Amino acid sequence: MATIVDIAVSNPDFSTLVTAVSAANLVDALNSPGPFTVFAPVNKAFEKLPPGTITTLVQNIPQLTRILTYHVAAGRYTKNDLRGRESIPSLEGTPIDLYITAAEFEVNNATVIAADIEADNGIIHVIDTVILMRPHWFHPIMRWGKEGIKSEGVVV
Amino acid sequence: MPSTLIEPTTKLPPSTHPFAEIIHRLERGGSMLPDTEENLMQIIGLYKAYAIPMDFYWRDLLYIAERVFLDPVPAFKYFLPKEYLELANHYAGDNADLRIWRGYATAHKELLEFIEKGELKARIPKLFHHFYHDRINMEFAEECMRAMFWHRNMGGLLEPYMDSAEYKQNADRAIRAYFRDNPIMLGLYKLFPDMFIEQCRQATMYSVLGLFWEVMCPVFLEMSDIYDEGGFKGVPDAMNFLVNGIFAIAGRPIYHRVYIRGEWYDIVPKSKGFTWLYEAAFPYVEAVFYRTSPFRGTKSYNAQAREVPDDQNDFHYGILYADKFPVASAGIPPTLLHQDMYHFLPQYLVDYYQKFCRGADDMLIQLGVSFQRSMYNVTSAVIQAGRAAFLYPLDDPNPRHLWANRYYFEGQLNRFANPKYGMNKAARILAIQSQDYR
Repeated sequence: MATIVDIAVSNPDFSTLVTAVSAANLVDALNSPGPFTVFAPVNKAFEKLPPGTITTLVQNIPQLTRILTYHVAAGRYTKNDLRGRESIPSLEGTPIDLYITAAEFEVNNATVIAADIEADNGIIHVIDTVILMRPHWFHPIMRWGKEGIKSEGVVV
Repeated sequence: MPSTLIEPTTKLPPSTHPFAEIIHRLERGGSMLPDTEENLMQIIGLYKAYAIPMDFYWRDLLYIAERVFLDPVPAFKYFLPKEYLELANHYAGDNADLRIWRGYATAHKELLEFIEKGELKARIPKLFHHFYHDRINMEFAEECMRAMFWHRNMGGLLEPYMDSAEYKQNADRAIRAYFRDNPIMLGLYKLFPDMFIEQCRQATMYSVLGLFWEVMCPVFLEMSDIYDEGGFKGVPDAMNFLVNGIFAIAGRPIYHRVYIRGEWYDIVPKSKGFTWLYEAAFPYVEAVFYRTSPFRGTKSYNAQAREVPDDQNDFHYGILYADKFPVASAGIPPTLLHQDMYHFLPQYLVDYYQKFCRGADDMLIQLGVSFQRSMYNVTSAVIQAGRAAFLYPLDDPNPRHLWANRYYFEGQLNRFANPKYGMNKAARILAIQSQDYR
């Protein structure tokens, strides 16, 4: 079988991701035994970002690396393995939120458009949006919005 | 509310939030500030008036972080050397890292002119200008820095890093180099190492704020230029321009380095991967727009009577809640900032303020209120950028996604509707819905 990098390189839909991974010197890491679970954005996902975002990241490799490692989790997790879990820790450190039903598979605000692509050293789930670390205030604000103003208690 | 009624997006039932009308506006891609020509003129005029002192603030903040550093008597820290006035902005000028905004790399012409002659329009020794406060008031910038420094635990990875052994080691190296020829300070460092490290953390925060504002300065100037050319059709355009700017620059590195005897010492290296959005912008908005600290001035707070929140998360003394009194402080309301902006108002705003209230006599208050409107618009941009980055498009076909967007907007606006400590009364969000609030 092929590694995660081999699979990405062989698919033109991942050309932006491959360029970014190469620029960030992550090729060797993603070719290592791992295993990893990679949430791989397609080219169209990068195109959704406003102009300048990618330029700034490519100019600043440590910052680019941080965003890319947010798309990777340690371990080999299929969609089924992840069912029932609310989040999974990313290599960047911030958890990736999960929403999984029989028909749906979402990570943060991205939809998984192809799940469970097996590689030698892990699993790839293809996503339609680049995911960004949700800040620590995100979930308290969402809870407060859902429960209404009367609940008052929010820690931001 | 006096503004025109905004229909909710069709897919969801109307919001029942106390600020439902503003929620619906946000759901349609609008700002917390109503879309009127008068509002657009006020906020853009203020962005311009803010950008020019900001050009001084970021340069001086970096000068203090990188050169003044731990000087025990930093008497001349506000006297910016030529080198820092000519320091190239990373995001303006021909050699910029990213050329989205026009403008040039070195200090703005109007700023240089002001530094030369001041409000007095007289070439007298710098010290006289300084003590007469006829200068750019860095006290405001430092107050913002202190707010960020004091309200810790606001997310990002810089916070924990500043407490790490690696940070202390980097700081130690710089402190020893800085005081190499000063045995008294080195002796004090040996006795009170934590105090010096804490001062170093403060210098780091100077750098963080400097790097943050280095970006905002050309953004605001560009907005003013676009407006002058007739380019913005309304408040949402101005907000979206900011949203795009936030995304473009999100990955800009945040770092701190010190220049000692011809050598740069990294205290927070760029290689840590800290970014403008997570380590500077979000903490800044939280600390400065929402929280800061109770101001000294016309209003007193009694901590024993629990008038000041026990929990720093509940602090609500930022610009979004401020009463616009001329208290002459660097804190909130930031009269010293108003004074700085007063020198750089576009003529159309000077003419406008003459027509209302007490004309020229209370222009600082009037421009302070416009500034508050402009910062509600910046906060709206941050809220919309957060929605775009972490949630869903406003026209997403999935109702569950639209509900998530709504919870997010309502959660954000709850911060202005919370009766705890009278936050709902302090928040100016309802006031800015009307043009009569001046």
